[in-house]
Amino acid sequence: MASSRLIAKEAAEVYAGVLTDAALSSGGQEAVIKVRSQLDDVVGVMYVDMDLEAALSDSQLSPEQRRSLAQAVFAGCDPAFSEVLAFMAEHGDFSLLPRVKPAMDDAIEEKLNLVVADVTTAVPLDDHLRQVITNKVETDLGKNVVLNERVDKSILGGIILSVRGWRMDASMVSQLNYARGVLGETPDGGES
Amino acid sequence: MKARAKTLLAMSASAMALNAAFPVLAFAAEEGEKTGIAFLLPDMLEFIPMLIAFIVLWVVLAKFGWPMFAGMLEKRENTIREALQKSEEAQIESERVLGEYRKQLADAKAEAQSIIADARSTAEAIKADMTSKAQAEAADMIEKAKVAIRVEKEQAISDLQGSVADISVAVAGRLIGEDLTEEQHRKIIERYVVEAGSLNG
Repeated sequence: MASSRLIAKEAAEVYAGVLTDAALSSGGQEAVIKVRSQLDDVVGVMYVDMDLEAALSDSQLSPEQRRSLAQAVFAGCDPAFSEVLAFMAEHGDFSLLPRVKPAMDDAIEEKLNLVVADVTTAVPLDDHLRQVITNKVETDLGKNVVLNERVDKSILGGIILSVRGWRMDASMVSQLNYARGVLGETPDGGES
Repeated sequence: MKARAKTLLAMSASAMALNAAFPVLAFAAEEGEKTGIAFLLPDMLEFIPMLIAFIVLWVVLAKFGWPMFAGMLEKRENTIREALQKSEEAQIESERVLGEYRKQLADAKAEAQSIIADARSTAEAIKADMTSKAQAEAADMIEKAKVAIRVEKEQAISDLQGSVADISVAVAGRLIGEDLTEEQHRKIIERYVVEAGSLNG
């Protein structure tokens, strides 16, 4: 089991390396950040829609059918990213995609000396706030930082910051959920 | 036996006939006057025939009557003795049976007393057991009812708290979403970022 996990990790690193190199050669750093963002979106969709992964990993389909299916589904993505996804589906490795994301972060850090920070807020960031966040992460990590911004009104307010596996959830919705838990669990309504 | 009786009857009849044959002599004797001792002495003419008749009668009776009489007496004696013996045996047997009956009666009484005592003790035990079980069941029911009431109460409180929490959070969420401007949102975000701990920590 450990060896198969190691093999999967190595395969994910290979895919991440190819994806980073392809994006870098096609559009430089911006393309890399864009592909990474799309990769993040696809992984998110995989968690929500299990049928997508099941279809792209279905062994009853021929490799060509899985490839064609992946190309059709991810036609709107970056061409290099779409091609890598089609290759993974063709070779039955589509389930490795969630492992590719951290491997790609490592590859970006190694090849571009950059750290990508995922920032989710309820309102768009302005330049001042971007600078504050960038300074905070660069000061703490000692590396150049690129923000991958996302606006999600469902978090109501606050910020969710995720960098290299470290995650700070200071969103309003999380705090309200915590408050709801405290109010519901304690007999005195959380006043003690 | 019948023949001997007939013979005895015939002999007796002969003797009686002999006695009847000499009344003339007796009456004849009454005709002479006797005085003195002669008055007391029997007349030989009467005495001898009477003696002969007596002897004949005695012989006949001794020969035939007495053995028959003795046999009858003996038989009667035996019969009485047997009857007495049987009576004694019957009495003994009846006393024995009576004793057995009394013993059986006493045993039956003792057994009945024992059965009654056992039944009484069993009934007492059953009553005590039923009472104990009833008390235990009642206590158990009361305890279960208390637990159910407590659970229901806690559930109701929990549901109420949950509802209050949901409503409070919903109101808070709506207030945040509607009342905060983008600038206020950004100030909150900045404050969170500044106050956050180190990413290396």
